[in-house]
Amino acid sequence: MGILSGFTRYLRLLGGLAVYTLNRELAFRGNFLVKVSVEVIWLGILIAFYRVVFARTSTVAGWNEPQYLFFVGCYFALNGLIEMLFLENCNEFAELVRTGDLDGLLLKPIDEQFLITCRRIDWGTAPNVLMGSIVMVVALVNAGWHPDPLRIATFLVTFACGTAIAYGFMLMLTSISVWMVRNQSLMEMWWLFSSLARYPKEIFSGPWGEPLGVFFTYCVPILVVVNVPANAMVRVLDGPMVALTITATVLLLWASRRFFQHALRSYRSASS
Amino acid sequence: MSIIEADGLTKTYRVAQKKEGVLGALRGLYRREYREVRAVERIHFRIEPGEMVAFLGPNGAGKTTTLKMLSGLIYPTAGQARVLGYVPWERADAFRRQFALVMGQKNQLWWDLPAADSFQLLREIYAIPPTEFKSTLDELTGLLGVEKLTRQAVRELSLGERMKMELIAALLHRPRLLLLDEPTIGLDVVAQGMIQKCLRDYHVRRGVTTLLTSHYMRDVEALCDRVIVINHGHMVYDGPLSRIVERFSETKLIRLQFEADAPEDLNRFGEVVRLDGPFADVKVGRSQVAAVLAAVLDRHAVADVSVEEPPLEEVIARVFEEAHAGHDAA
Repeated sequence: MGILSGFTRYLRLLGGLAVYTLNRELAFRGNFLVKVSVEVIWLGILIAFYRVVFARTSTVAGWNEPQYLFFVGCYFALNGLIEMLFLENCNEFAELVRTGDLDGLLLKPIDEQFLITCRRIDWGTAPNVLMGSIVMVVALVNAGWHPDPLRIATFLVTFACGTAIAYGFMLMLTSISVWMVRNQSLMEMWWLFSSLARYPKEIFSGPWGEPLGVFFTYCVPILVVVNVPANAMVRVLDGPMVALTITATVLLLWASRRFFQHALRSYRSASS
Repeated sequence: MSIIEADGLTKTYRVAQKKEGVLGALRGLYRREYREVRAVERIHFRIEPGEMVAFLGPNGAGKTTTLKMLSGLIYPTAGQARVLGYVPWERADAFRRQFALVMGQKNQLWWDLPAADSFQLLREIYAIPPTEFKSTLDELTGLLGVEKLTRQAVRELSLGERMKMELIAALLHRPRLLLLDEPTIGLDVVAQGMIQKCLRDYHVRRGVTTLLTSHYMRDVEALCDRVIVINHGHMVYDGPLSRIVERFSETKLIRLQFEADAPEDLNRFGEVVRLDGPFADVKVGRSQVAAVLAAVLDRHAVADVSVEEPPLEEVIARVFEEAHAGHDAA
């Protein structure tokens, strides 16, 4: 199978899975509406909080209000994309291992990683991507931003890289479930991850903050996930940081896939 | 070329041993003890194209573990296997396209959606051409009599109906090999019969090679000519179903109906298992059947007589007991 036909097939499958999960969500529309409402309220609170902060100061860690608003929108869209595509699937993985229901997925003639991590789309968090995008556009308008093809292209590439880095970390955390069987710490780890990614890396200053900032930029590159695309679009187009983000993405995707495949070799399949 | 070749297939698990009480649990945090469980030990067999083989053994014998190794779900500790020409645990897509594993206690259909939606998704996953998909689906729903149920949410179907849908889902891509792990577990007699009939008809039409595990001997009698028995991970029998009865049962059952009440002295011929008015069932040694029949017919007025093999359940139970005794002695 050629790369292109393989890619088309997986894209079609993703579309099919998206339709079926939407059908499933709509079968329980009350639950669906509550989930969407909670996300809208959460974004409202987040924006209100930053408005309060910027009512008292003109910059936070070197970011002015429209720039920071763009950062918030970027974080919200990226986090929404991850939650929509992967979080629920990865969170369910431990249960699949514990009950042996993973068997059914491993028997299918498609890539296991794709099927396990993409089989359900969480439509309840899909509006976050849209809302995040709207916030980004509003921030750009407020900033009087002029379209720049290079910045737009860099933003799109680094935004995709940020999503891939977050996915790579999540896949590694998920893989541990094969040995731990119960892996309730995944959600806690994800919360830690998204908490770190939520702020500009400039806030990590001072004798304690700086080493932390360096560690979470170069060793465990969580801080590049939102910072690099947001910076590229509304602040400095930092070539070395973009290169670092792309390199980290390739390495992390490769390492997380190897780790996941290694974990599957240890799968014992629960007794029937 | 054989469809399944298993050579010295072995699977050993390391199972954590938990001590009782809070202190035991705390101790387990820093020093955990493990026990080695040999689920399957050096089993060898071949299955040829088109065969329907029963894979029998008591609970914990290693049947499901073997099926899981053959389907590539788990890696063996030792030994080799080739299934449809592939090493199963490499899980090549081309291999997974050609077989199906149905587990009676697990479901692969989407619980909240109609089975038809799951079938469509499987069509995408297995890349089944639309015309082939439609004809196979029509054939299978017809065979199982569930044409009107495919648009109903799976969670609203009865256990028997769900199992039929599972079977359809497993056969949609026309597998060359079908691995069935207790497909009729928990089903009533009618649903069991329906599943058996579907499997038999499908086998006749498509010649699919089938390996079946079941605790229901009716499934085995209805579907399989060959039986493989394992116990404690070891293979104890591999041969025709008819021969297992000869080999492991030393007796036959003579069912007699006398013109008058059955005589009281039948126990001198063998073990009387039933004595009820003119009816009597006597278990006698296989080599004595002719002599006993001649003696009874010579002395008494007999209205009807038949000679039967003992029920398969009884024979299989005996096989398990013998294997168990052999294992304990070893």
